[in-house]
Amino acid sequence: MVNRRVLKGVKRGKAFEIEVDGEKLVAYEGETVAAVLVAAGRRTFRWTEKKKHPRGMYCGIGLCHECMMVINGAPNTKACQTMATPGCQVKTQHGLQERQR
Amino acid sequence: MKELEMVILGAGPGGLAAAVEAARAGVSVTILDENPKPGGQIFRQFHDGFQVTSPGMLGHDYARGQKLLSEFDTVRDRVELLDNAMVWALSEGNELAFNRGDASYSVRYKKMVIAAGAYDRPVPFPGWTLPGVFTAGGAQSLVKTQRVLPGENFLLVGTGPLQLALANQITDAGGRVVAIAEAGRIENWLGLMKGALGQWQLIGDAAHYLYGVRKAGIPLWRNHIIVEARGRGQVEEAVVAEVDKNWRPKPGTYRTVEVDTLCVGYGFVPSVELTRLAECEHRYEPLLGGWIPMRNGHMETTVPDVYAVGDCTGIAGSLVAIEEGRIAGLAAAQRLGHLTTMEARERMARSRERLAGLERLREVLDRISVPRPGLYELAKADTLVCRCEEITLGEVKAALADGATDMKEVKRMTRMGMGNCQGRMCGPAMQEIIARERGLSPDRIGYLNPRPPVRPIPLGVLAGHRELQ
Repeated sequence: MVNRRVLKGVKRGKAFEIEVDGEKLVAYEGETVAAVLVAAGRRTFRWTEKKKHPRGMYCGIGLCHECMMVINGAPNTKACQTMATPGCQVKTQHGLQERQR
Repeated sequence: MKELEMVILGAGPGGLAAAVEAARAGVSVTILDENPKPGGQIFRQFHDGFQVTSPGMLGHDYARGQKLLSEFDTVRDRVELLDNAMVWALSEGNELAFNRGDASYSVRYKKMVIAAGAYDRPVPFPGWTLPGVFTAGGAQSLVKTQRVLPGENFLLVGTGPLQLALANQITDAGGRVVAIAEAGRIENWLGLMKGALGQWQLIGDAAHYLYGVRKAGIPLWRNHIIVEARGRGQVEEAVVAEVDKNWRPKPGTYRTVEVDTLCVGYGFVPSVELTRLAECEHRYEPLLGGWIPMRNGHMETTVPDVYAVGDCTGIAGSLVAIEEGRIAGLAAAQRLGHLTTMEARERMARSRERLAGLERLREVLDRISVPRPGLYELAKADTLVCRCEEITLGEVKAALADGATDMKEVKRMTRMGMGNCQGRMCGPAMQEIIARERGLSPDRIGYLNPRPPVRPIPLGVLAGHRELQ
């Protein structure tokens, strides 16, 4: 299992699990959903609407919307701006899904 | 409707400095910030849960950020900080709308300071949408404050001293930086920076980072640019080439590098959607990052009661943002009757002096890092230029051939810029690319106009919109 967490300089908070596409991943208090996925070596967060291309995290500051996933049932949720919480349910997003604009 | 005496949009260096000065002068200050904690991107703090065990290892910016944040702490009881708040509309009558959690609010203000910051310049090149391609800032946010490495083998492409900082951070965290491809003429950096007398702090940073890169044995490829990222489903290799002084690849210099992660940092773009929404007048200034709001010496925009400071008014870094923030905070405090003209002028004197010193450094950095034409010639016909709506450069060119003359017409005809990012990712490069296609300067082809809501908001939240109590 890939673990890309850096231990130097910080101590992490409490550990818990989240579920990503049915797979259980370890997360720590203070981590975003994106960080949990990145730590596990996961690259693809969603597939695009038109061309069905894979996309992953890009800007990391909530602007580009490339990291949109279905989090706790809510589509178009930015994984880089969403804190991981115990038991949180994350799914790869396909297309734009019930786009709410 | 409730009226705030002073509202500050953004709790980065500029916004915090404005809050400190205004609050000290007796102004009642409210800050709205998108993040859970103040600090902005550069002084970003750790989320609750992380405990910093050795702050020394976290770099100079972290230490500088802590200094400003502790200054902010001294006025903290006089400032209302609304975190996780996203401003989505500004309208006439000094009114603004923002959402926070599942609620949306309206409120009025007497004075507003916009300190919206900047973001990494998005550059379209073949393969730039592959998973594993990050903006330099995106990779940095993961390494710095989430303490995860987004890959194993990194190639850093871009320009400017920040690339060196990122290379140090990745190496220190245990990642392998295969090489740094620097588009500019780096050999002149230190010499040029020494010419900007009085800025030893920043020269020290750059020298320190350069030393770290050498010590780690990271190859520094000068005058090299990214040409393409390739891979099945994610980055597996990248192609770079040596460039001439216009950043155009030289034939016969292409080389392929096996990497899983690409960090792209060709400078920054000012975030002007808020000054645009406020209907401030803007001008196009390539040396400062693109479109920027016009201001007077008190940091006031062309719209009464609206001030703007820091990187959202032209890329100049956190030290400039802090001093501009102080000046805006003092100017607004004086206008609100908390300071006499004399008092305000006296308190501004030190900031003005520091800004004068920083100005020379800024000119030097601009000269090193301003994007050259070759950067905007990397995209091919089938390269996506609008990531959200999946529009290719070929489609944009077809729209131009069909009679589109400016940014707004291209938007209407192709949907470029209509997606979730609201043109933030495609706008800056397309401003340059479309201008070149039309044989005009970039300021002659209009711009992608932000429309409220400037960020996607669920309809349920909008339905519950109400006045702030």
